[in-house]
Amino acid sequence: MTFENVTKLLLAKTLFFPENFKDTEIEFAGASDLMSDFLAFSKENMLLITGLTSPQTITTAAVVGATGIIFVRGKEIPDNVVEVAQDLEIPVIVTDLSMYIACSVLYNNGIKDAMGTDRMIDKNG
Amino acid sequence: MAEEKNDVDKLVEMLSKVFVNIKIKDIMTSPPIVVTEETKLKYVKDIMRIKKISGMPVITRNQNLSGIISIEDIIKVYDSGSFNDRAVNWMTKNPVFLNEDDTLMSFLEANEKLNYGRYPVINRNKKVVGVVTKLDILEWMFKKLGYIYVHDQRREETLNKRFTSLLTGEQYEETRIDFRYDIDYESVEMVGIAATKLKKFLLSKYIKNDVVRKVSIATYEAEANIVIHSGSKGVLYCLINNDHVKVFLEDYGKGIENLDKAMKEGFSTATEKIREKGFGAGMGLPNMKRFSDRMTLISSPNKGVKVEMLFYI
Repeated sequence: MTFENVTKLLLAKTLFFPENFKDTEIEFAGASDLMSDFLAFSKENMLLITGLTSPQTITTAAVVGATGIIFVRGKEIPDNVVEVAQDLEIPVIVTDLSMYIACSVLYNNGIKDAMGTDRMIDKNG
Repeated sequence: MAEEKNDVDKLVEMLSKVFVNIKIKDIMTSPPIVVTEETKLKYVKDIMRIKKISGMPVITRNQNLSGIISIEDIIKVYDSGSFNDRAVNWMTKNPVFLNEDDTLMSFLEANEKLNYGRYPVINRNKKVVGVVTKLDILEWMFKKLGYIYVHDQRREETLNKRFTSLLTGEQYEETRIDFRYDIDYESVEMVGIAATKLKKFLLSKYIKNDVVRKVSIATYEAEANIVIHSGSKGVLYCLINNDHVKVFLEDYGKGIENLDKAMKEGFSTATEKIREKGFGAGMGLPNMKRFSDRMTLISSPNKGVKVEMLFYI
C-alpha cells in the first residue's frame, strides 16, 4: 500500500511528505505511545502509529528507519515537531481517528504487524 | 640491617606529614579493578597485562575482601600451577587492608611496617571500594600542591589519555575519534538529536544499513538515559574500525544506584512527567544490550555513567 492510500483510508491530513516516498510500499505498522516499544520491537520501513506528538517521536522514527508517522486522535501538532520531520525527512500525517480504529482500518486492509510480539495468537484467524 | 629507603619512600614520608588527616577515600583509585574468587588465572593475567597493573584485590560474590593476587603469584603458577585454576587458590589470604575513613597516617604506618605495593580499601559494610598505592598518594599530593609532577614514560600514556576502552583497555588519541557530539541539553524533547546525527554520519561512511540501525537505536536509548536520568551533561564518541563500530557515552551525573534492577526490563526510576513524554518504560538498558554485540557499563552513585557498546560490521 502506498502512503497516499493510507492517507485516504484514515481520512488523514498530510503534514509533511517528501516526494521520494511517493512509491514506497508500506507493509508493516505498529502502535504505541511509548518510544521504547518502537525502539525494542520494530521493523525497518514500518509505520509508527502514535498519540505522542513530540519531537522525540520523529527522532525515534528516524533511528528505527520507519517509513512514516501517523498521529492519531486529531492532535494539534507543534511546529517544532514538523521542523524535525523536515530535517530528518520523515513523512507525517495526522488523522482524527482514534488509535484503535486507525489500527483496525489498516489491519483490515492488509497492513501487517511490525512489532512481532504477538506470536502467541494466530494472526490469520 | 636497615635497608636504605629509596627516594620515593622518603618523599612520601616527608609530604605525608603535611596531609596526615586526609582520608584514604579521597586518595584511593575507585572503583578498583578487582577479580572474584572464581576468576580463572588466565583472565587474571590478561587483566594485569591490559590494565598494566601488578596486582589486585580478590573479592567474594558479596564484594567482601577475600585476598590479593599479584604478579608474584602468577609467576608461581608458571612454575607449578595451571592457568585454569581459580584466583582463590593462588591469592594471598588475609591481606592487609585500609578503611575508607582511615587517614593517610594509617597508610604510612602500614607502609612503614610492610612496604606492600598496594592496599585494598573497604567501606563500613566491608565491601571493597578502592585500591590505594604509593603512586596514588604522590599523584594526589602533587595535584594538591599545584605542581605538575614529573612522571615516568609508562604513566604518561595514562595521564594524557583522552579515552580508554572499558572493554579492552585500548587507548585512543583524540584524533582517532571519528565522531563526537556533546549532549548538553536538558529537555526531553531534544532526545534523539545525537543519535540521528550519528546515524547520518555512519551512513555517510557507507556502514551497512542494518548495523547503522542497531547503533542508532542503542545510542538513542543511551542518549535518553543521559538527558532523563543523569542530571548532567554528557558526551558521545564513535570510532569506526575494520570490523566493528564502537560507541562510547559518558556523563558526570548521579550514576546508577542498582545496576541489576536497572537492567531488568520494565524497571524505571523515571518521573510521571518523563513518562508522559513516552519514556520511562524501563527498556533503556535492556534495549542497549539487545542491539549491541557487546556492552560494558561502569557506574556508581554520583560518579556518572560510562557506557561502551561494540557493534560488529
